Amino acid sequence: MSATTRNFVIAYVILVLLPLVGLLGILRQGRNLAAPVSVDGNWKLQVDSNQLSAMPCGKSLASAQAAAVTISQSGRNFTLNLANGPKATASGVIDGTALKASVQPSAAWASETGCGSDRVLTLSATVDPKANPKSLVGMLSVEGCPACTPVELRAIREVQAEGKRGR
Amino acid sequence: MMPNLFTLVLQIAVILAVCRVVGTIFQEIHQPRVVGEMFAGIMLGPSLLGWMAPQLSVYLFPPSSLGFLNALSQVGVVIFMFLVGLGINPKELKHQGHAAVLTSHVSITAPFVLAAFLSLYLYPKLSDDSVAFTSFALFMGAAMSITAFPVLARILTERDLLQSRLGTVAIACAAVDDVTGWCILAYIVLLIRSAHTGTPIWLTVGGLIGFALIMIYGVRRLLRRFETIHREQGALSENLMALMLLLVLGSALCTDWLGLHLLFGAFLMGAIMPKEQKFVRYVLDRFETITVTLLLPLFFAFTGLHTNIGLVKGQEMWIYCAVIIAVATLGKLGGSMLASWLTGMPAREAAGLGTLMNTRGLMELVILNIGLEIKVISPALFSMMVIMALFTTFMTTPVLEWICPDRLIRAASESMPRQVPVPQLDLKATDGSAA
Repeated sequence: MSATTRNFVIAYVILVLLPLVGLLGILRQGRNLAAPVSVDGNWKLQVDSNQLSAMPCGKSLASAQAAAVTISQSGRNFTLNLANGPKATASGVIDGTALKASVQPSAAWASETGCGSDRVLTLSATVDPKANPKSLVGMLSVEGCPACTPVELRAIREVQAEGKRGR
Repeated sequence: MMPNLFTLVLQIAVILAVCRVVGTIFQEIHQPRVVGEMFAGIMLGPSLLGWMAPQLSVYLFPPSSLGFLNALSQVGVVIFMFLVGLGINPKELKHQGHAAVLTSHVSITAPFVLAAFLSLYLYPKLSDDSVAFTSFALFMGAAMSITAFPVLARILTERDLLQSRLGTVAIACAAVDDVTGWCILAYIVLLIRSAHTGTPIWLTVGGLIGFALIMIYGVRRLLRRFETIHREQGALSENLMALMLLLVLGSALCTDWLGLHLLFGAFLMGAIMPKEQKFVRYVLDRFETITVTLLLPLFFAFTGLHTNIGLVKGQEMWIYCAVIIAVATLGKLGGSMLASWLTGMPAREAAGLGTLMNTRGLMELVILNIGLEIKVISPALFSMMVIMALFTTFMTTPVLEWICPDRLIRAASESMPRQVPVPQLDLKATDGSAA
C-alpha cells in the first residue's frame, strides 16, 4: 500500500466512517425522544348546534358544526380550519395531550358577529392518543364573557389517506 | 373533477410572468435566473401575495384548483429529474482521484451527521409522534446533504470555471452527492411507505433492485440505439423522441408502483441513457426549453403556495431557522472545505469548493416537497428548510466571488495538473437560464 493510499484510507476512516458510526449512535439516542401527540389531519366535529347558536360568536359556527375541521400541525403549534365554516382560522398550542386554540376570525366575520375584538372564541380540548381513530373532547368558550355557557364538543379524526409516517 | 380552464390558464400566465420578471431582476444582480424564479414562487404563495392581498390570492389560487397545478408541475419535475440523470456520467465518477472521492463523501457525511444531530433538538419541537425519529433524522440528513447539480453547473458555466480544477472537482462531487442523496431518500420513502402499506420492506427493496438491474443491464443496452441513430442521422425523429419520453414516464410509473416515487424512475432513466456529448446536448436542447421555461416555474409556484413564512413566527421559530441554516452551511461548506484542504487543495480554493457545494437550489425544493408529501416534515419545518435552500443558493455567487475570485481559480488551475476529467453537463435553457 502506497503512502498516498494509506493516507487516503486513514482520512476516509476519520472523516467518513467514524461520523457514520456517530450517526448510528444519534439514531439510537433519538428513539428515546418524545414528540408532541399528532393531531394533524381532518377531524369530524360533533357539537350541539342549539348550544352553539346561543353562544355569542357561535351562530355562524353552528351552520358548520357537522363539517370537517382540518388541523395542520407543526410540532407543538397547530392551525385549525373549518372546511365549510366561516372564514376563520384558529391557531393554538399542544401541551401533552391538551390542546388550546384561539379563533382568529376574518375581518368580515368579525364585523358580522362582533367576535375578534374583546370577545375571543377559545377551544380547550384533550386528545385521546390511544383511541383508534383518535378522538378529542373539549369545550368551546368565549373569553371575556363570564355569562356565556361553554359548549361541549367532540371530534374524531378521519383515517388518513397517506400513511403518516415512518413508524 | 374537471379543472376550471380559465383559472388554470390564468394561473400559468401569472406564474410565468412573475417568474420571468423576478428571474430577470436576479440575473441583473448576478444571480442565476433559477434563484429568482424560486423567490417568485414564494412571492405568489401565502408568504407575500396571500398575506398582502388575500382576496386576490384566493381568486388566483383557489384551493380546489391546486391539484391541477400540482399535476402539471410534477410532470415538469419528472422531466427535469430525467435531465439531471442524463447530465450525470457514471464513467467520469469512476475516474476521480482519491481527493475528489474523499471530498464528495465528506460533503455528504458531514451535513448528514450534523443534521441528524440537530434532529435531536428539533424533533421534539417541530415534529409529532406519528413520525419516527429515524425517518425524521434521515430525511433531514438527506435534505441537508444534497447539492443542486444543475445550478452548480450553471454558476460554473457563467463564470467560465467549468474546466478549472475547482469546477471539475465541484461537478464530480455534486454528482456523487446527488446520486447518494437520492439513494438515501429512496430508502426513507420506502421505509415510510412500506410502514403504511404493510408490505415488508425487503419485498419492496427486492422489487426495486430487480427493476434497477433490468434497467442497468437490459434497457440500457437498448437505449444505445438512440445514440447510434443520432450519430448516423444527426437527429432523432419525433417518434423516437416520443418513445424516449414514454420510456421516462414508464420508468417513473414503475418506481411509483413499486412503492417509491415517480421521480426516482425518471432520474434512473436519465442516468442510464448514453452519455455521448453531442447526443446528451441534443436531448437536453429538445426537452429543456419547455421544462425550464414553462413547467418548472409551475413547480416553484406550487412550492411557494406550500411555503408559509408566517408559520415561522416568534423569536423561537426564527432561532430554529437560523440554526438550520448555520448547520446546513457548516456541514456542507465546512465539510467539503475541510476534506479538500486536507487532500492538498489551497485554502481559498477549498473554501470556494465548499461554497459551491453549499448550493442547494431546486434539488432541495424537490426533496422538501417529497418530505411534505409523505408528511415526514411539518409545514413550519418545510418553510424553514425552503428559507435555508434559498439562503444557501443565494449566497453562493457573492461568497464565491468574495473568497475565491476568478483570477485565483484560474491561476491555481494553470499551475496544477488536472486530476478529474471535464464533465459534459451544461444544463441550460435556450436563453441561457438553468434550473
